[in-house]
Amino acid sequence: MTRGPLVAKRDLLTLVLDTLVPAAEEFPESGALALDHVLAMAAASAEVGLLLSRALEAIEEATQADGARGFAGLSAGQREDVLRRVERSHPEPFEALVRHAYDGFYSHPATITRLGLEPEPVQPRGHRIESAALPDLTRVAARGPIYRRA
Amino acid sequence: MATNDRADVLVIGAGASGAAVAWRLAGAGIGVVCLEQGDWVDARAYPHWRADWELHRHTDWSAEPNVRRLPQDYPVNEQASAISPLMYNAVGGSTIHWSAHFPRFRPSDFRVRTLDGVADDWPIDYATLEPYFDLNDRMMGVAGITGDPAYPPKSPRQTPPIPLDTLGVTIAGGFERLGWHWWPSDSAILTRDYDGRRACVNCGPCDLGCPIGAKASTDVTYWPKALAAGARLVTRARVREITLGPDGLADGVVYYDQAGRERAQKARAVVLAANGIGTPRLLLNSRSARFPDGLANRSGLVGRNLMFHPYAMARGVFDRPLGGHRGPIGCSIISQEFYETDLSRGFVRGYSFQVARGLSPIASANGGSIGDRVPWGRQHRRAYAERFDRTINVAIIGEDLPEPENRVDLDPALTDAHGIPAPRVSYTLSENSRRMLDHGMARAREVLAAAGAREVAFNPLLRAGGWHLMGTARMGHDPAASVIDAEGRCHDVPNLYIVDGSAIVTCAGVNPTSTIQAVALHIADGMIRRRS
Repeated sequence: MTRGPLVAKRDLLTLVLDTLVPAAEEFPESGALALDHVLAMAAASAEVGLLLSRALEAIEEATQADGARGFAGLSAGQREDVLRRVERSHPEPFEALVRHAYDGFYSHPATITRLGLEPEPVQPRGHRIESAALPDLTRVAARGPIYRRA
Repeated sequence: MATNDRADVLVIGAGASGAAVAWRLAGAGIGVVCLEQGDWVDARAYPHWRADWELHRHTDWSAEPNVRRLPQDYPVNEQASAISPLMYNAVGGSTIHWSAHFPRFRPSDFRVRTLDGVADDWPIDYATLEPYFDLNDRMMGVAGITGDPAYPPKSPRQTPPIPLDTLGVTIAGGFERLGWHWWPSDSAILTRDYDGRRACVNCGPCDLGCPIGAKASTDVTYWPKALAAGARLVTRARVREITLGPDGLADGVVYYDQAGRERAQKARAVVLAANGIGTPRLLLNSRSARFPDGLANRSGLVGRNLMFHPYAMARGVFDRPLGGHRGPIGCSIISQEFYETDLSRGFVRGYSFQVARGLSPIASANGGSIGDRVPWGRQHRRAYAERFDRTINVAIIGEDLPEPENRVDLDPALTDAHGIPAPRVSYTLSENSRRMLDHGMARAREVLAAAGAREVAFNPLLRAGGWHLMGTARMGHDPAASVIDAEGRCHDVPNLYIVDGSAIVTCAGVNPTSTIQAVALHIADGMIRRRS
């Protein structure tokens, strides 16, 4: 029930995601990386699907209220203005949208790699920690016991 | 109703304390049956083996049962609580998803009334528990280093301390500059192979479980030994109520098995190890003509005096990478500089600092325990880059005082999948705790600044921070002022024992699992002694 409307608004959703996390430096915009995750979350949970649908509906309404023909026709700055209004008018749906956008973007292997991390699972590889010398604990111990003898 | 063979001792719950008791009793030749509502966690099922592991922290591997909603979980009505209770239902219990920060309570923590004039003294002391602390350390395997001046001398730790890495060395420098106490955390995480278990590979998210058994969850520490000693563990077995014989003693339980069938398990003694919420829930649901207000509740204290350890969080942002995604998430450094009472601070008792690792990629975007999401839009990339891998989190873990208004009772409407009433939690942060956390945040700002942080942000009370569930069936000499005695026996039902966090009288300013397990082993030895 909830996946349909979201999938039907796939193009709008992609543009919204791109506005939330635009391309910068070597990082791509989030539409390409987070879209599948956001759609999957909407499909997996009716509650999430409803929230995200409400967010997109509010964005469409806010766009129309500006007299614009569509979100796609707005400049980057105008898109941000629309989203800021929706953030104020529909905080819960908008918060869900941002959270799932970030989740999708920052769990994508392409993003992980650009952050300088390994995109593979953390097991079995783990992380190598260079053995740094333990700071001198004798100075802490030399200050003496700090517990009360009961 | 099908009835199982009578056990010498029935243990309810296979977590931190239930596992310890089952092992100790089975090793003494006592016939132990344990009923656990969860199941074994398959090491291959942990999210660490998947590239999208971090997404699972807020869904199926959440520490909050109300978010996770797995079949083995029960709902908790927390609408009247400032803190959300966290727990895990499985063999290993909440040690599956704990961070394994492993400090002990200190000697003064058992004499709060005598020393500071508030709350109550325990009926046992640090010296009584010391051999059990050591025994438990050997069973769990503790990484650390002796000599900490915040404690009486301890026995050697099983493996060297968790590596501090750049992050730990940086914050240690802050403590040093201020001349404040700090020490590498005692952590129930192996840094060397030990007792047939592997060393940690520093993958990071211990809070999602440990797929290689380096972290001491009791499914990999106590349970293999308990089963080898003859204990029997029944999983997917949800206990509905404890039953009484005509003599007024506990004679077993009624539970639902894996197929949902009602069964009875009879026993000569019953041990409750279902955590500080599950235990009072079960007692309150075990009403009878003899105990119309709940089993073992003539004092009216079952479910009351709930303590959580309120957490405030501070996060410093630094100008250089700190490698915070490497290494056990909850463990690097502890400070007990402000642990003992100093009334000039404006509150009684005290707190610890627990310095955890940095934030993983998604947590960095969503603000982690501070909750201040990185702004979206054209400034996002720069703001994210300033935060990712450049943060140190300092948790202020305060000592809650027992207050009867903070409590667990039964929800009149909400039930679990078997129709058993769900627990309802009421908890308000006290003025003393508020002052304590405020003091801690101010000191955290100082130490982060001394370590080089260029900005510090706070969460004054971590809502999703109810890791420690304590005090709801407390220990004491006076049957009118406590639920169990110094040997863990219910005053009202002397063959019914409580060994989990419910037994805690005062909760100290440190994580409680080490102390809960030591108390459980002490109680088990009393059972063995009386039998012989």
